Amino acid sequence: MVQQLPAIIVVAPLFASFFVFFFGWRNKHLAFPMAMGGVSVCVVSAIAILDTVIRQGTIQYRLGGWAPPWGIEYRVDHLTAFMLCLVSMVGWLAAMYAKKSIEKELPEKICLFWSLFMLLMTGLLGIIITADMFNLFVLLEVASLTSYALVAIGGSKAPLASLRYLIIGTVGASFYLIGIGYLYIATGSLNMEDLRLLLPGMYGSRVVQTAFVFIFIGFAIKIALFPLHSWQPDAYTFAPSAVSVLISTAVAKTFVYALIRIIFSVFTLNFIKEILPVFGFICWVAALAMIMGSIFAIKQTNLKRMLAYSSIANVGYIVLAIGLAPSSTLGLTPAVMHIVNHAVIKGCMFMAACGFIYRYNMWDIRQFTGLGRRMPYTSLAMILAALAMIGMPPGVGFITKWYLILAALEARGYVFVVVIFISTLLMIIYFWRVIEIMYIRPEKENTFPGKPGVNEIPASMLIPGLLLGILSFVLGVVWISGTFHPLLYAINTGFGFGGTP
Amino acid sequence: MRIVGLILVVILGSVLFYGSLAFPPWGDPASPASSHLSPYYIEKAMEDTSVPNLVTAVLADYRGYDTMFETIVIFAAGIACIVLLRTFKETESGSRLYRHIPTGITLKIDKKGRFPEDSVVFERIDSHWVPHDLIVKTTCRLIVPFIQIFALYVIAHGHHSPGGGFQGGVILGAAMIIYAIAFNLRSAIRRMSERSAVMLSSLGVFIYAGTGALCMLFGLNYLDYSALAGLLGVDPVTARSHGILIVEIGVGIAVMAVIVTLYYNLASAGRHDEGL
Repeated sequence: MVQQLPAIIVVAPLFASFFVFFFGWRNKHLAFPMAMGGVSVCVVSAIAILDTVIRQGTIQYRLGGWAPPWGIEYRVDHLTAFMLCLVSMVGWLAAMYAKKSIEKELPEKICLFWSLFMLLMTGLLGIIITADMFNLFVLLEVASLTSYALVAIGGSKAPLASLRYLIIGTVGASFYLIGIGYLYIATGSLNMEDLRLLLPGMYGSRVVQTAFVFIFIGFAIKIALFPLHSWQPDAYTFAPSAVSVLISTAVAKTFVYALIRIIFSVFTLNFIKEILPVFGFICWVAALAMIMGSIFAIKQTNLKRMLAYSSIANVGYIVLAIGLAPSSTLGLTPAVMHIVNHAVIKGCMFMAACGFIYRYNMWDIRQFTGLGRRMPYTSLAMILAALAMIGMPPGVGFITKWYLILAALEARGYVFVVVIFISTLLMIIYFWRVIEIMYIRPEKENTFPGKPGVNEIPASMLIPGLLLGILSFVLGVVWISGTFHPLLYAINTGFGFGGTP
Repeated sequence: MRIVGLILVVILGSVLFYGSLAFPPWGDPASPASSHLSPYYIEKAMEDTSVPNLVTAVLADYRGYDTMFETIVIFAAGIACIVLLRTFKETESGSRLYRHIPTGITLKIDKKGRFPEDSVVFERIDSHWVPHDLIVKTTCRLIVPFIQIFALYVIAHGHHSPGGGFQGGVILGAAMIIYAIAFNLRSAIRRMSERSAVMLSSLGVFIYAGTGALCMLFGLNYLDYSALAGLLGVDPVTARSHGILIVEIGVGIAVMAVIVTLYYNLASAGRHDEGL
């Protein structure tokens, strides 16, 4: 049973999706319990896998029983297991949150929504766990196609946003496919481990270098790295609430993980340090994303759109952490930390923002006067996450920034320290505006229809949001306490970094 | 903006071209792509899987897991199409069209009029009137069975010749679509309802993924068809060949059902009002 877990974690949501589609078509009340069952299996298997990896080291799983370079292989190392846990847990919370919001927003498409949701989970978990370049592409297609469809259900402008997402996203996916094609011509292999062993002999080859460039650009589009982000704000804004929550957390983070996996597991540190020293350039792009994302966020009046631009800035943080990794002893620690931290913070913020829409149909920040008293707990979750992101100790944002500054100082990138400070200032501007309007400005009359007094969203939507809000501070303490240091150490050494966490 | 886009396209295109100049020569037998993995497949595929068609062996066995997700991509496309196009609000158009079968005359009956029952004399037809054409209908009636038999042949013969589930499924779906075009959507939906198309697409992918899970229940890895040897009563190598056939059938069903679903939704703008 334990050795079958890598297959089970991907196949469980897949089966859930068939069952939801098959039985949910007749009786839509069955859809949610079956979907929830599927995600729960994922969470349990992810935890069991992480436990096994910590105790026994890397797990290998041969699909169809074929040995690696010929068949497809799953390889679960520490980072993989960690990401499986993150994505399945975030998916679980998003599913919990989605129940009520979907019942309100899309009453007649519940069964279709849940089967797409489960297929998306399959795609994401498959991308994380696979050790085969082409298998990653196929699952990328599954994940992308389902996210286009999920964004498009939103109504009004959502189909147009989804069409742009589809066109630009497909360009990204084809760049990745071109990259795989070039690698295959150069080496004749698709297995990541095999490629890692074959590539050093041909690092000088133009084919391999072109492959790297195209794979990087392809994923830069998928993670919405500035200036390739143009699909992202519309997609996040017009998607249904539950979908905004899921794609801003699980989907974006999975693609970042895939980028890390391919850069450091297939091309390795040596390639980046000696053959194609592009990481200085990547750091500058990331710095630009951090500043420009925040500036665009300040201009927005739609809360979801502001959060979308804030995500662009945060992708900049993660990419900066990746860019600094080769030149500091901290290695991938800041990057891994911010992947988790941003998933927690942004998940919480989108849950709160969509809560305001759910209850009062409010998305314009200027209308929020008095909302802090009408929806105290949802607002509290929002503010906890905002404070954590700005960097109030011991919030998770503070930890990321602290480690990033350490890494930047060590890499002698003093400019990036300044960039981090500037982007923090900009974050304070755009989040403080929300806090001020919600709590301090007096409530206008007739803003809130319906009954007077406190009017919260249902518990199944409120609890995941509050939980993530509280977690954004608790997790900060956990990072400081060093509970995860052995894991981070194992992740760094696994990729050939020095390894002080 | 257009000029910036053009410049970017030119730059990326030239990078691609520049990279491709270093490719190994065309058709070089010593190139990595033909000397690293391929020799194993060429020498061992028959021994390992008892499938004479190498492409099928790689596609459905060595890399069968990828193929399963290709099927899932098609399934997802089907769901996406339903999600986007299907409208669940019933709208009744004002008037209905009926055909008087003995004479072939089309009657338009307004909302207030009395609608005849469907019978041997009167047949309700699509509200977008399609001329009654004896030649087209008869030809279609004649060729549909042959198309379907050919589709089954393509699915079943994937082991020995080009073909397999995807191609066969598309041909099966095309048979249904040609029927819907020659007659009308109502008649096609009467043959295969939207619900059965949806159920079949789900069933098809379930056959594929379920075969994989069955292998796991018999104690081997996911999609390791040799685990089915005991169940099928053959030796493990032949079991691989049979396993491939089972999943190809699943792929065929799923592809056919998705194609039909796509056609129904596109042809009626998601209303399906002609058949419900």
